Amino acid sequence: MALNREMKILVVDDFSTMRRIVINLLKELGFNNTAEADDGETAWPMLQSGGYDFVVSDWNMPNMTGLDLLEKIRADKDLNCLPFLLITAEAKRNQILGMAEAGVDGYIVKPFSASTLYEQMYQIIERKRVQ
Amino acid sequence: MASSTHINKQNVKSLLEALEQGDETRAEALLDELTQVRESELFQQVSSLTHNLHQTLEGLGDAEILLQTKHDIPDATERLEYVMTATEEASNKTLESSERALAALSQLEMLMSPLVAEEDKALLSECTATLNSELTNIMLAQSFQDLTGQVLNRVILVISSLEQSLIALIHESGHDYDAIPERAQTDEQKKADQMKGVGPNVTDKSKEDLAETQEDVDDLLAGLGL
Repeated sequence: MALNREMKILVVDDFSTMRRIVINLLKELGFNNTAEADDGETAWPMLQSGGYDFVVSDWNMPNMTGLDLLEKIRADKDLNCLPFLLITAEAKRNQILGMAEAGVDGYIVKPFSASTLYEQMYQIIERKRVQ
Repeated sequence: MASSTHINKQNVKSLLEALEQGDETRAEALLDELTQVRESELFQQVSSLTHNLHQTLEGLGDAEILLQTKHDIPDATERLEYVMTATEEASNKTLESSERALAALSQLEMLMSPLVAEEDKALLSECTATLNSELTNIMLAQSFQDLTGQVLNRVILVISSLEQSLIALIHESGHDYDAIPERAQTDEQKKADQMKGVGPNVTDKSKEDLAETQEDVDDLLAGLGL
């Protein structure tokens, strides 16, 4: 089953290069409905204002990290089911387990490939659909 | 000296005897004596540490460490920041070019498709797919900037904290950080250093006396008849 290419995706990363790369990759995969934020603090009010179907976020960011953002999302009654895919350079087993505990839906370690991004998004959407 | 700073058996024995005899006054006096021995030992150790620290700080004098703290550490930080900016700019340029090339490619494919003979259509779409995927690879390779940037940020943080500790140490030793002079270097020494090659001039200070454009270089050489 194909993914809904109309879904609105928020890309959160403090490095503009990385945001640009992810947004371009998403475009290549057919997702044109994207927005960007440079850290959790900027992302949070955007998410609260509604309309987002998917979050692709970095972990290590100033002001509000990806983990803090994820925790806020999971604690919010309107947003707690929002799919959250983490793309990060952090790769310690404990970190991955901690993120899973916090409720992350997918975890990609940088550097990554376009196909990894697609596979992870596909798996997340499929899983959410079954639930 | 050493014998007086150590608890000896005799003192302990006397203390025990005094206690057994119920002579509280004597026991207390002996206990005080023993404690004093311990305290004086501790005092001596602290005093020796203070003395060493004092000597180290005194020794700073016109030491290289003052000049390094004032000049070399900020220089190193500035150079690392340059690397951050330069790699970010290069990544962005590459991304822009890839984006434009991808857009042109999809236009080209649309334009060419009706013009190509039926038997060549498969080849055309194979070629555009390859170009597409190669351009995406070029784009994805730029993600190095995020990784190296995170590493550089961390190193800059470590250097800054080291710098702060050194500045505190300099103040502690009674030196005025702001009054630390420039490195005393004769023009000959400076020239000798420069003739060894100093790399790209990326810091504000290194931009002094710089030929900024090829024209500047040409003009300078033209003045010498070259």
